[in-house]
Amino acid sequence: MSVQLTIDGVAVSVPDGTTVFDAARMNGIAIPTLCHQQNETPVGVCRVCVVEAGGRVLTASCVRPAENGMVVSTNSEKVVNARRTLVELLMADHPSPCARQRQSGDCELETLARLEGLGEPRFPKRLSSRGQDESSFAIAVDHEACILCDRCIRGCDEIRSNNVLGRRGKGFNAGIAFDLNAPMGNSTCVSCGECMVSCPTGALTNRRVVETELHGDPVESEELKQLRYFEKVSGTFLELNRNAIVRRNFRKGEIICREGEYGSTAFYIVEGTAQVYLSTPIAHVKTSGGASGFFSRLGSRLAGRKQDRRDGETDRRSIPIDAPVDLPYDSPIAELGPGDLFGEMTCMSLYPRSATVQAATDCVMYEMLRNVLDIMQRNKTLKAQIDDNYRRRALEDHLKSVPIFAPLTEEFIDSLRASVELIRYNKGDVICRQGDLADAFYLIRIGFIKVAEDHPEGELILAYLGRGGYFGEIGLLTEGRRVATCTALDHVEVVRISKDDFQRMMDAFPDVRARLESVAIRHQEENRQRATVNVPLNQFLTQGLMEAQSLLILDLEKCTRCDNCVRACADAHDGITRLIREGLRYENYLVATSCRQCRDPLCMVGCPVGSIRRRNSLEVIIEDWCIGCGLCAKNCPYGNITLHPFRVGAEVKKKATSCDLCTEHAEPSCVYACPHDAAHRVDPNQFFMRRA
Amino acid sequence: MRIDGSHRYWAAATVGLFLIGVSVYVAFGVYSPSGPRGGNGLGLAFGIAGYVLMLYAGLLGMRKKFPVLRIGRAQTWMRGHLWLGLLSFPLILFHGGFAWRGPLTAILMLLFLIVIVSGIFGAALQHYLPRMMTVQVPMETIYEEIPHVRQQLRQEADQLVEATAQIDVEHDDKVRFRELYQSRIRPVLEQPPPELFAPLRVAIPAPLRETLDDLENICEEQRQLNRQVRLYHWLHVWLLVHVPLSIALLVLGGVHAFMALRY
Repeated sequence: MSVQLTIDGVAVSVPDGTTVFDAARMNGIAIPTLCHQQNETPVGVCRVCVVEAGGRVLTASCVRPAENGMVVSTNSEKVVNARRTLVELLMADHPSPCARQRQSGDCELETLARLEGLGEPRFPKRLSSRGQDESSFAIAVDHEACILCDRCIRGCDEIRSNNVLGRRGKGFNAGIAFDLNAPMGNSTCVSCGECMVSCPTGALTNRRVVETELHGDPVESEELKQLRYFEKVSGTFLELNRNAIVRRNFRKGEIICREGEYGSTAFYIVEGTAQVYLSTPIAHVKTSGGASGFFSRLGSRLAGRKQDRRDGETDRRSIPIDAPVDLPYDSPIAELGPGDLFGEMTCMSLYPRSATVQAATDCVMYEMLRNVLDIMQRNKTLKAQIDDNYRRRALEDHLKSVPIFAPLTEEFIDSLRASVELIRYNKGDVICRQGDLADAFYLIRIGFIKVAEDHPEGELILAYLGRGGYFGEIGLLTEGRRVATCTALDHVEVVRISKDDFQRMMDAFPDVRARLESVAIRHQEENRQRATVNVPLNQFLTQGLMEAQSLLILDLEKCTRCDNCVRACADAHDGITRLIREGLRYENYLVATSCRQCRDPLCMVGCPVGSIRRRNSLEVIIEDWCIGCGLCAKNCPYGNITLHPFRVGAEVKKKATSCDLCTEHAEPSCVYACPHDAAHRVDPNQFFMRRA
Repeated sequence: MRIDGSHRYWAAATVGLFLIGVSVYVAFGVYSPSGPRGGNGLGLAFGIAGYVLMLYAGLLGMRKKFPVLRIGRAQTWMRGHLWLGLLSFPLILFHGGFAWRGPLTAILMLLFLIVIVSGIFGAALQHYLPRMMTVQVPMETIYEEIPHVRQQLRQEADQLVEATAQIDVEHDDKVRFRELYQSRIRPVLEQPPPELFAPLRVAIPAPLRETLDDLENICEEQRQLNRQVRLYHWLHVWLLVHVPLSIALLVLGGVHAFMALRY
């Protein structure tokens, strides 16, 4: 059945159920619109497509069905004025030029405004910003540019069936929202890109990683779409990001990446195998010579834990790296094959490479920037594969790399494989909150988390945990509530073991329970001690000195600036001083630059191999597998970590060192060598309490 | 080294040893027919004791060259240097019977006097100047870094003045401010005279005064660096007299001992 109507004086006939908008379009009459797309259900929210159809008011042509005998005018003065006013109103609430207009010059609203000959809107702009959301690596969200057309919502729901996008707020405060108004990067968005492709303005735009240029063969979007990981990703999106993923061919023996180098890409192995290993000697800096004889030459050398066992040194048998496998301590080498993804931490959090990867055979890999990696990781198919790889290959190593879990049997770990969950968190996400009911135990696979206690005076940081670290056991052991809040410091992936599985583990392995309990008791005791520290001096606290476990202070009223302390430190450490006579001042004391064994040890955040950590005595220790990347030295706010170079064969390798308090001696060299009684190593709390 | 209450045992021991030396010297002077002389037994004992203490005091320099050697805390050596070095002077006077008979001994005594006086002067400087430096130079930096810091301050000042291009004032005012900086501030940036800024402040428009304040702070930091250089020189320059003369004294003292005992 057809319908007869007149549009702009032209008699047309269209099938019954056709909208006025479609009837006009089918007959070559263009009606401007913003909210309507042919592949989405019309909703008529922007009202730009209004026409005069004989009624009392103008009607939105995209939702108004054509009727027999209807006389439609799309360009009457009334329609044109209404449309101009609508566009002008939208432009008054739109940052011009928006991101899309700047990038490609095709913002539909701004184009329409130009066609309508609109200048500066007569209406006032809103005073408060609607804000931007930069949490996604793939898509930039500018709520300021959103015209609430809902095209993105319909794209997400109708076309992709992802149902992530929706509306939030009402009236003036209305906007689009991901899940329950979560930041896009933290939502369940799979970064398919449909919303961005649907958006008529710069509210949702492609986020390029402009600072990095990849060397390799560009991969056509058609080729990628044939891979199951990319099959659900928008082709337009892949086209826009065609330089963010390249195909790399490596010949056998070629180095793909080196440990300690900074990078911003991840690799996905398509064909071939690669060896992943550490070329830096697995040893720590050992300074010795002073204790045995007066005139023996002091020197630093590299010594593994078998030659020089240090107090508080870990018993780990494997070294955590940024790959699906850990490296054995005794022979740090492993193999990666097709389907393996490595370099995730480097790519997502820009940490240095944790290991050297060398092609064992001719290899084909995809090298990608983080916006593409983000899309891949959000892809359900790939995520399932990565999870499966992890469960099959790495879960056992990962669990057993934690000395406490060493007694777990293979059968038990097999029983866990199906039930453990691999969960991703973005920077700032709270994984568990103090006071919540404890419902799971967590093992960190990637990234760093901050463990902090809430106090009326503020947050007390208890620890930073990296790969191989675990948390959540105290709440479960006591069958109570969380005693601390754990927050993701960067891109984090954790293995979640449910409360039931954890209890099963505890029942089956009393050894593990006993060890966990003793560690938990120790942690709680340490935390209690930290929490009860009296902080009498505001200035002292603001300088961050109270964080220190031990300080080197110089009494400036005694110090003659002779630098004997610095020379002594250099003498004691192979000519490389770990002390600089400069730093913060408190009263007449200079807090010299030397390791303060901080309570909030920022140096530990980001270590790509997790080699810098605390001993039980709370002193900082750098484990044997330090790769000398220098990130800890960069992170230390006091500049107290130095890199000590060593010649290893033809290469010079570096190892991070910090003030070791000259543990071989009864007194640190700097203090011992000060002729003016000006240098002292003190416990800050006791010392400054006495001063107060 | 600051001479404070922690020196009391050293001071008491030194005074005690000095009093013992005086008693022995006086007793010997009263009961010995020839009186105290360097050549007789007691005089020789005074000479050896005095020279040993001088040698010990002189070894402080060697101790500092090897700071990590575990041969006693450097501050203990320094206390010994101060007090025992001081004690060596009366012992040597007792050794010579307050007389210097030949040219070598005369030179030795003169050198010794200068070394002791310069040492006391140095100790006094080290007692007072560190406190003065702490109070007067709150922006103190590492001495060797001063030229670098000065260069940074110069660059910072230039950048501040360049940044005035962004300030909303008349173009002519900006030009005048730059000329003012080039002609009156920059040439004296390292040795800024007092009261440089007060007359300038009234001559420039209000929006530029913040920049002028920043320049004044830079000049103040320069002043502090100058003060630091002066005080640092005072803290260490006396060593140029004390150390070489001490070495000469020890060498000539050794020559004197050898010649006296040999001939």
